[in-house]
Amino acid sequence: MKIKYVVRSILFVTGLMISLSLASWVVFPKNNSVEFGMSDVNANGILGEDDDTIDVLVLGDSLSYSSISPMMMWKEEGFTAYVCGTSAQQLYESMNFLKQAFVNQKPKIVILETNAIYRSFSPIKTIENSFHRLFPVFQYHDRWKSILPVDFGGSVEYTWRDDLKGFKYSNKIDGINAQDYMRKSDQAAEIPELNRQYVKDMAKLCEENDAQMILISTPSSVNWNYKRHNGIRLLAEEYGLNYYDLNLLSEDISIDWSRDTRDKGDHLNYFGARKVSAYLGRFLKNEYALPDHRQDKNYQSWNEAYIRYQQITEQS
Amino acid sequence: MSSYFSIEYLALFLPAVLILYNLMPQRYRWLLLLFASYLFFWLISGVLILYLLTATLTTYIIALHIGRLQQQRNMLLQQVDRPERKAIRISYQKKQQKFITAGVLILLGMLIVLKYSGFIGINIQSLLNVLHLPLTLQIPSFVLPIGISFYTLQALSYLFDVYREKIQAEWNLGRLALYLAFFLTIIEGPICRYSDLSFQLYEGKKISWNQFLFGMQRIVYGLMKKIVIADRLNLFIKTIFHDYNSYDGGMIALGALLYTCQLYMEFSGTMDVIIGSGEMFALKIEENFRQPFFSKTISEFWQRWHISLGLWFKDYIFYPLSMSKPLKKLTAWARKKVGNHYGPLASGAIALFCVWLANGFWHGSGWNYIFFGLYHFTLILGGSLIEPVTSRIVSFLRINKESAPYQFFQIIRTSVFVVIGELFFRAKGLKAGIHMFITICTNFSWTSLSNSIFSIGMDRQDFIVVIIGILIVFMISVVKERGLSFRALISGQPVMLRWSLYYMFILFIVIFGAYGVGYIPVDPIYANF
Amino acid sequence: MERLLAILEDIQPDVDYKTCTSLIKDHILDSLSILSLVAEIEDEFDITVPAVEIVPDNFNSADAIWTMILRLEEN
Repeated sequence: MKIKYVVRSILFVTGLMISLSLASWVVFPKNNSVEFGMSDVNANGILGEDDDTIDVLVLGDSLSYSSISPMMMWKEEGFTAYVCGTSAQQLYESMNFLKQAFVNQKPKIVILETNAIYRSFSPIKTIENSFHRLFPVFQYHDRWKSILPVDFGGSVEYTWRDDLKGFKYSNKIDGINAQDYMRKSDQAAEIPELNRQYVKDMAKLCEENDAQMILISTPSSVNWNYKRHNGIRLLAEEYGLNYYDLNLLSEDISIDWSRDTRDKGDHLNYFGARKVSAYLGRFLKNEYALPDHRQDKNYQSWNEAYIRYQQITEQS
Repeated sequence: MSSYFSIEYLALFLPAVLILYNLMPQRYRWLLLLFASYLFFWLISGVLILYLLTATLTTYIIALHIGRLQQQRNMLLQQVDRPERKAIRISYQKKQQKFITAGVLILLGMLIVLKYSGFIGINIQSLLNVLHLPLTLQIPSFVLPIGISFYTLQALSYLFDVYREKIQAEWNLGRLALYLAFFLTIIEGPICRYSDLSFQLYEGKKISWNQFLFGMQRIVYGLMKKIVIADRLNLFIKTIFHDYNSYDGGMIALGALLYTCQLYMEFSGTMDVIIGSGEMFALKIEENFRQPFFSKTISEFWQRWHISLGLWFKDYIFYPLSMSKPLKKLTAWARKKVGNHYGPLASGAIALFCVWLANGFWHGSGWNYIFFGLYHFTLILGGSLIEPVTSRIVSFLRINKESAPYQFFQIIRTSVFVVIGELFFRAKGLKAGIHMFITICTNFSWTSLSNSIFSIGMDRQDFIVVIIGILIVFMISVVKERGLSFRALISGQPVMLRWSLYYMFILFIVIFGAYGVGYIPVDPIYANF
Repeated sequence: MERLLAILEDIQPDVDYKTCTSLIKDHILDSLSILSLVAEIEDEFDITVPAVEIVPDNFNSADAIWTMILRLEEN
C-alpha cells in the first residue's frame, strides 16, 4: 500500500512540475524590453549586449544606478561597464544578476555597491527566489494580461539595449547640508550572517569566472556613515576583497551636498554621478589596467549610444 | 508567519509539524502540538505569550476549584436525605458562582483592558470635553497578543461548560493549554468547544492518506479564494473605501458588494486552510461557514456565517439571559397577554440586544462595529415583529412560499441587507459609513459605473478573473448546498481527468493569483478581531 | 406526553410532532419558540429548565423533550 502512495505522489508531483514549467515557458518574456514584459529592464538591458563585451559589472541597490554612469566612463576611459542595479536590491537578487551576467559576459571586475550588504532579508526570501528561478511563472505570472502570440511559440531572443547602460538619469536638485556625516567612529555596524554568506559566495563565483570582485561605497549622506564603513572594511579584510569608500574621498570627489543630490542626500543626481564616475573611471582604469575599446570597430554601438546619452543629459 | 497563507506557514511550519507528528509515538503527539502551538504564538507575538499563559493558568485553576466543589457536593448529596439536598445544592451553587464570576472577570478584564481601553478612553475624553471639564486622560494603548479575542472566548466556554457540568475540569494543564493555544484555531477561530476539540488533539490519531489528500485539496481551494479573488478585489475596494468622497453611489454600492465578497472569500478561505490543515492531522475542526449567501433571512444568515461565534453567543449569552428568572417571568406573563408569537419576543429581544451588542464589540472597538451589531439586531427583531404580517400578505397574494422565484427574492433581499451591513463594517468609522450609505441612496447612477468601473485598480481582465473565481466557488457551493461532497464527486473520476483538473486548478491560482510585484497581500481581516 | 404535545401544538401548529426528529435542525423551532416552550413546560410540569439543557439534542423531537422533562422531574 505504502509503495503505491509513494509512486503516485511522485508521478503527481512530476506532472505538476511539467505543467509549471510549461506555464513558465509561456509567460517568460521573449525579449528583454518593456513591451515583452521584462522586469527591471534597465538592469536586464545587459542581456541585449554582445557576448563578452562588458569589462565591469556593477551590482547594488538604487545607490549603484544613481551614482555610476557607465557612458561617462566609456567616454573618458574607453572601457565598458554595466550597472545591474535595481531599487532596494537584496543580495540574493545581486546574486541572480551575477549568475545571469556570467552566462554571456566575462567581466574582469565586479563591483558590489556596499549599501546592499546592509539590507537584511529573511531566509524565506531565498527559498522564494530559488522557486522563482526554477519556475519563472511565479515571478512573471502577471503577464497573463499582456500575453502575445509569440509567447506560445517563439524562442527567447534579447535585442533591447539601454543607452544609459543601467544608469538612471535625474537632474533633480534637492540639497541638504551634510558636512560631517562621515565623522570618525571606532564602532562597526553589524552585517547579518546571511548577507555575509552571500558576499562570500559571490566573491567565490567571481573567482571561478576569472573576475575580481571589489566593494565600493558610493557617496550618500543618508545611507552611509563611519560605522558602516568599518563594518564593510572588516568584511573585506576577512574575505580578502578590495574595498574603496568614496565617501571618504572628499578631496578627489568633491560632492556638493547642496547641489549634487536629488533627495536630500539619499541619492546622487546626475551632477553627483558625473563626479563619481569621472573619478571611478580613472581609478579603475589605472588600478586594474582596463582596456580601451573606443577605436575598436566591434564597439561602435557604444559610441553611437554615447551620442544619444549626450542628448538625454544635455538638458542639464 | 502572520497568516495561514504565508510561505512560512504553508511551506515550512505545516510540513515540519506534520512530519514530526508522524514520527512521534502516538502518546506524545499532543505534546508536539502543544510545543508547535506555543512556538507559533511566540513567532507572532513574542513575549505577549505571557497574557496567554496567564489566561490559561487562571482558567485551569478556577475550573479545578469548581470541579472540586462539585465533587464535594456530590459526596454530601449521597449522604443526606432528599429534603436536605436542595439546601446543599443551593449552597454549593453559590460557592461555584463566586469562582466562575472571578474567572469571567479576570478573562474578560484582560480582554477589555487590552483591546478596548483606547476606545473607552477616547470616548470618556470626548464626554469630558463636551461637559467642558478641564481633564486630560492618559489613554493607554496596548499591543494585542494574537488571537486574544478567540482564546478568551474558548477559555470562557470551557469555564461555563465545567460550571454547567457538561465536562469535567481538566487536571492535565498541558491539555488545557493545547486547547487554548492550538495553532490552527488561535488566529481566526473557529471558536471550538473543549468537548469537541480537546479529545481529538490529545488522541493523536493516525493520519490517513485519503484525509491527508482531502486536506491538501481543501487548502488549495482556500488559497484560490484568497489569492485569486480576495487579494485581487482589494485593488478596487481599498480605493473606494479610502477616497469615498470621490465616488458616487453606484461605485460605492459596487465597492460594498465587492467588499462583502472579499470578506467572505478571505475569511472562509482561511477556514478552508485551517480545516484542511486539520484534516491533514486527522482532526475534525467544525465548519465555520455553510454557504451563507443562500440564506433566506438574516437570522438564517447568521446560522451560516461565522457559525462558531453565533453558537457561542447563543449558548453563553442568549439562552442564559433569556432563561434567567426575571426574563422567564416576563415571557410567561407576556405570552398570556399577547399570545404565542409576541409573547417571548420581549425577553428574547432583551437577550438578543445583548448578543448583538457583544457581537459588535467583539469585532472591534469602534462605533461602526457597534452600529453593525445593532443593525443586525434591528433586522432580526424587526423580521420577527412583522413575521405574522408578512405571512398574511404572502398568503393573501397567494404566493407559494416554497416556489423558486419567492425563495430567490428572499435570498436577494437578505444579501442586500448583508451588503449594507458590511459597508458600515468596512467603513473608516461610523461617520464615513453613514456618508457612504447616504451617497448610495441619493447619488446613484449607472453611467458612472459603466464609465469608471475599470479605472480604479481593477481593469476589465481583473474583473473577468474575479468573476471566474466566484463562479467556481458558486458551483462548489451549489453542490455542497445540495448535500453532496464536491471532493467525493471528483475522486470518483478517472485518474487522468482528475489530475488534469487538479493541475488546471493549481495553474489557475499560480497564474491568476494576485501576488508578487505590485500586489500587497491583504492582512488577515479576522486576525485583528 | 399528551400534555407536551398539546403545548407544542399550541406554539407551532401544523407539525407532526410524533414523527419529526429534526425540530431544531430544520429550524421548525427557532430560538424564540424555544423560549415559549420552556416557559410553558416549566409552568406545566413544575420544573426548572437550566440554560445548560438548551442544546439541540434535547429539543430535536417530542420524545427528546419528554425525556428531558422526566430527567428534570427526578431531581
